[in-house]
Amino acid sequence: MHATICDLITDLVQNSFEADATEITLSVKETEKNLNVVIADNGKGMSAETLEKAKDPFYSDGRKHKHRKVGLGLPFLFQTAEMTGGTAAIESEEGIGTTVSFDLDPANVDLPMFGNFTTAAVTLMTYGFNGNLKIEHSVNGRGYEISRKELREALGDLNELESLTLLKEFIKGNEEDILDF
Amino acid sequence: MAKMTLEELRNLREAKKKEMTQRDGNDKSAQIIIGMGTCGIAAGAKEAFDAFLDELGNHNINDTRITQTGCMGLCFSEPTVEVDVPDMPRVIYGNVDAGVARRIVREHIIGKALVSDHIFDKPAADIIK
Repeated sequence: MHATICDLITDLVQNSFEADATEITLSVKETEKNLNVVIADNGKGMSAETLEKAKDPFYSDGRKHKHRKVGLGLPFLFQTAEMTGGTAAIESEEGIGTTVSFDLDPANVDLPMFGNFTTAAVTLMTYGFNGNLKIEHSVNGRGYEISRKELREALGDLNELESLTLLKEFIKGNEEDILDF
Repeated sequence: MAKMTLEELRNLREAKKKEMTQRDGNDKSAQIIIGMGTCGIAAGAKEAFDAFLDELGNHNINDTRITQTGCMGLCFSEPTVEVDVPDMPRVIYGNVDAGVARRIVREHIIGKALVSDHIFDKPAADIIK
């Protein structure tokens, strides 16, 4: 499994980028008793048959790297859920989109650390992707919401160093606001 | 860091842009491409990303772009990072942890010398189309 929950989230949101989605929502809700994550996209989706195969770590549709036979993103999620008494689900419809959701127990000793959400959000917002990504993060009901579209309007080219630095400060400020409360 | 509004963020960006145009108009910028596939993430590509951002900021190097890509097929040497500095060969570096990322900024981007002990010349053959 991934070393942190934020690594897992980054990996899963990238699946939506690669599914040619134009609208993606990442919602992360943390409470003392539960960690709920939902990633919903309007990408190309999968058939029921492909969806089953996607849970197999030794399956890849071969389009990205035709000689490679592994696809570990989703299997890492199901492994994490299974090993820590959590639940994970994926729903998909061809031409409509895919929704991945999971609930994990923050108190489970086998659960990986949560990790650095600021960096995860910065890298996701600045990945080579032209659609809109909305990120919602809350801790015990106090949260914030940011969208790539709004950030693009405020900062211009997000991959320039000045934009990246300001974006990181912006997200860090939001994160500290919900964590210090 | 105090929480900012989008309006404050926009104003800060505008102020920085003005500062940039007042300095010399060097339009040749370096580009850093970080491999952020499952393998890169697992090997610490985000820590390398943070280190690049921090070290470039420490040296006030603003004319650089940082982008990301998926797996480059060099999963055994992740995190992998491609660096393109004008008038220098494009280089793919392997095993770029935070320390190596900082060296790339100081030695390659500022010093214009390759970080020879971390070089990979190109992506694996089966990844190149």
